[in-house]
Amino acid sequence: MKKFILFSLAFSLLLIITFCNKEKITEIVHQPTPYEIEIPFGFPTVLNIPDDNPMTVEGVELGRFLFYDGRVSGRSHPDSLMSCSTCHKQENSFECGINNPDFPGGFTHGIAGKPTPHVMLPLINLVWNHSGYLWNGFISNENPKEDYRNIEDLVWMGIIAEHEMFSDTVRAKNLIQNTSGYPELFLKAFGSETITVKNISKAIAQFIRTLISANSKFDRYMRGEEQLSPSELNGFVLFTTEEGADCFHCHGGYGNPLFTTNLFYNNGKDSSFTGEYEDFRDRFHISGDPMDYGAYKATTLRNIELTGPYMHDGRFATLDEVIEFYSHHLIWSPYINPLMHHIANNGVQLTPNEKIDLKAFIQTLRDDDFLTNPKFSKPEFFPDGMK
Amino acid sequence: MKKFFIIICLLIFTFIVGCKKNSESDDVEKFSNLTLKFAYYNEGKLLEFDTIIYENEAGNKYLVNEIQYFISDVILHKSNGENILIDEWKDIHYIDTDILSTQTWKIPDKLTPGNYNSISFTFGISEAKNHSLMFLNPPERDMFWPEYLGGGYHYMKLNGKWLSDENTINPFDFHLGIGQIYHSYPDSITGFIQNYFEVNLPSSSFELIENQTKEIEISMNIENWFRNPNIYDHDVYGGDIMQNQEAMNLACENGHNVFTIKIIN
Ligand code: HEC
Ligand code: HEC
Repeated sequence: MKKFILFSLAFSLLLIITFCNKEKITEIVHQPTPYEIEIPFGFPTVLNIPDDNPMTVEGVELGRFLFYDGRVSGRSHPDSLMSCSTCHKQENSFECGINNPDFPGGFTHGIAGKPTPHVMLPLINLVWNHSGYLWNGFISNENPKEDYRNIEDLVWMGIIAEHEMFSDTVRAKNLIQNTSGYPELFLKAFGSETITVKNISKAIAQFIRTLISANSKFDRYMRGEEQLSPSELNGFVLFTTEEGADCFHCHGGYGNPLFTTNLFYNNGKDSSFTGEYEDFRDRFHISGDPMDYGAYKATTLRNIELTGPYMHDGRFATLDEVIEFYSHHLIWSPYINPLMHHIANNGVQLTPNEKIDLKAFIQTLRDDDFLTNPKFSKPEFFPDGMK
Repeated sequence: MKKFFIIICLLIFTFIVGCKKNSESDDVEKFSNLTLKFAYYNEGKLLEFDTIIYENEAGNKYLVNEIQYFISDVILHKSNGENILIDEWKDIHYIDTDILSTQTWKIPDKLTPGNYNSISFTFGISEAKNHSLMFLNPPERDMFWPEYLGGGYHYMKLNGKWLSDENTINPFDFHLGIGQIYHSYPDSITGFIQNYFEVNLPSSSFELIENQTKEIEISMNIENWFRNPNIYDHDVYGGDIMQNQEAMNLACENGHNVFTIKIIN
């Protein structure tokens, strides 16, 4: 009898465990290793990673190959290769750079010569952007169309856009499928050797989300590891005071080390933004809010000294020109953002010494670790052994 | 056989008890819920944004573009003298005219039904709680107040434009937060002034009814920021005041009369 009691108790326990456990035990086909993003000091904790594309070590590794592989354009002739990295170069914070021989002045164009509508944006700390990619924020979770919401979508768009790779996604997918080494990597990352544009996009997006800059001189100052020079410190004070250069409301500071709000403002570059001056790719054409005529994203100032030319249209070649602009040459229009209150004096009116200090501070946002990190650089060999 | 029957019963009993989720206690407490909503008025009418239709006491014609602010330590005062701090673990609430979700605050607390005399809160964030880097994510993050000027967070950004005495439409940033004492302006800061203040909402008694959710609107009456007791003139104080303690002080004195409540249901 004792045995029977013991048995029934054990049996009931089993019943409880089996029926109370709701999770289904599914067969595990492939098990990629989760990739953890460490949150640097002072950085936001909420990441913009779509539910259907979790970060994995295998996905990131594959994404790095694809990011640098010109065959993603669906062409294999050496003269006609174009990859993401043709324009997005690590040494320039993933912009093409103002001294790029292929793109004079830093003005990019597609494989067939069609200019990009705007100049470049850096690929840096994008995993913390929740308010829209591109200069006008077109690619965001608010976009009614499902295919225009995140970094993934900028991959297929890049493959077909006339001003970028100007190819088609079927060719791209087939060429990668037939390149030895890739199917195995797709199997490891996504559980299937059959390559889809969706998975190409997912892998590249995962790689881009790892491009994190958090070790500039200013970061080390924030963490108490390094002191700024007197000129840099004065520049920091100017940057974060209204009576100084007044940059922080839009470009961040100690409380926002991304050095961008990722929001959109009209910062007073022109007097007219409608009629013949209308840019159909400004923020207004996304939000429909008339206050957004001539508004664009306030880009991050990290590594900014390497990412000229400046503004969405590349109108300024140097940081000095930008500082001159904010100091003396703001232009009033009904659309100017209220945060540009120094418009009343045409600008913040910095003295020559203040301009030097402000620039010195902005240069403390250069992150050499980011620019040379081997994890972000071109792989020595592609999966098929090609260089 | 009897034993066997007992064992079967026991078995079924264990099964049921074991599966029951979190066993809630049986004594049914009586409670009510509270939801706070936030709205904006000018001269009694709902505020319209981005259109220069308002005139303040000083005669400035102006428009409002956006308002972003914090209230904290909201306290319900009961008739029996008891004070209840609501939503203790999220005691600082951010409100943004551009973000709908911030304009409703569902208080998670289970409140005791009965009569409440009034509501009070801190406009902004008290010195004890206003720490830099406590909000790492937007939108709260973007309220940071620079370290050099005292750190922590803006209490409020009210951004707009006014028709200046030079007949130009200029932006104003009516930003409130920690003020500074200067040895020689705008350099050498020798001290800071906490400008946050307590708001006791006038005629804010209400009754919580058992098993019901009370909705109360906290209304910001914009014109009072510039009117009572101090007449605030944009032509005098200009576009920015974060480093102008005199202006922030006038504004905060007016702030006591800016908020009212409305019982929605
Ligand atoms: C011909 C040059 C060129 C190529 C090739 C290119 N890009 Fe870009 N990229 C740009 C330009 C220019 C922008 C800014 C576009 C805009 O907003 O108008 C940009 C913007 C982006 C952004 C948005 C950054 C932000 O902060 O919003 C991402 C992400 C991006 N590219 C990813 C890629 C990927 C992935 C590839 C490869 C599939 C790629 N790009 C290929 C020129 C290029
Ligand atoms: C009202 C918000 C605002 C303020 C204040 C502001 N900026 Fe900007 N900034 C922007 C916007 C928006 C852009 C992009 C505009 C465009 O592309 O047309 C920009 C662009 C820039 C760029 C070029 C970025 C690039 O990638 O091309 C630099 C550099 C810059 N700002 C520096 C500053 C400095 C320095 C200050 C303070 C003197 C400042 N900004 C103040 C909103 C602002």
